[in-house]
Amino acid sequence: MMLRESQIMKIHYITGIAALFVVAVHIMMRLIMPYSLSLEYENVIANYHNVPYLVLLESILVLIAIHGFNGLRIILLELRQSKAWEDGITILTIAAMMAVVAYGTRTIIIANGFGLGFE
Amino acid sequence: MEADRSNREGLMGWLNPGRYGWERVSYWLQRLTGVGLLAYFIGHVFETSSLTQGPDAWAAMLELTQTPLGHTILLLVIGMSTYHSANGIRLIFAHGGKGLGKPGRPDYPYDAVSLNYRQKSGIWIALILAAVAMLYGASVLFGGE
Repeated sequence: MMLRESQIMKIHYITGIAALFVVAVHIMMRLIMPYSLSLEYENVIANYHNVPYLVLLESILVLIAIHGFNGLRIILLELRQSKAWEDGITILTIAAMMAVVAYGTRTIIIANGFGLGFE
Repeated sequence: MEADRSNREGLMGWLNPGRYGWERVSYWLQRLTGVGLLAYFIGHVFETSSLTQGPDAWAAMLELTQTPLGHTILLLVIGMSTYHSANGIRLIFAHGGKGLGKPGRPDYPYDAVSLNYRQKSGIWIALILAAVAMLYGASVLFGGE
């Protein structure tokens, strides 16, 4: 399925605004207790055992990956225009986006305890 | 036929703020902060993955990142993300045609109606918000808690 650039731009705006809200909650989770205490291993793992927070983390991962790698694609397409370059950059950024989402999702799943049985 | 490459300025054309005033500065700040935030995001995903290797690996990663240099980088990220968000919202409105003013007869000195005080103040608001967020971030990160 080919998306028009106008549709991709709408996705860019929507993911950007949505990311603003979920990242705000993510930062607040670091500030509900003293900052250094919030980074202690037990507290971070406790965050990962909280299912609504897991959903929030996964949505941050997906939203910022889409927004960030599409932004990078736009910058690279502004620098140079040819069919091969545009197709190459699009494929490269989609692959990088999927790799980052997969790696981040792996962390979320393992830290939650599905993989290592932390509980 | 050989393509005409004389109009390809590459990165220098992208970075040149000389010809277009504040809007050009805002244009490349939006891109520089975007690339910086993407680099931080990838680094943060990698940094957080040390959780999966247990408490010792997590402590080792914190030793690396919770340093004055690490906190300074985090402060930059706070500033970049605030500017990128505020200026991004301005751009969404501008792309939607909001706050651009009405088209008029082009009289000398040919100031573009679209580059009006609303757009310029939007850029300043983004910069001021970024500075305020960085000050608050500094109070948390270097506040001695």
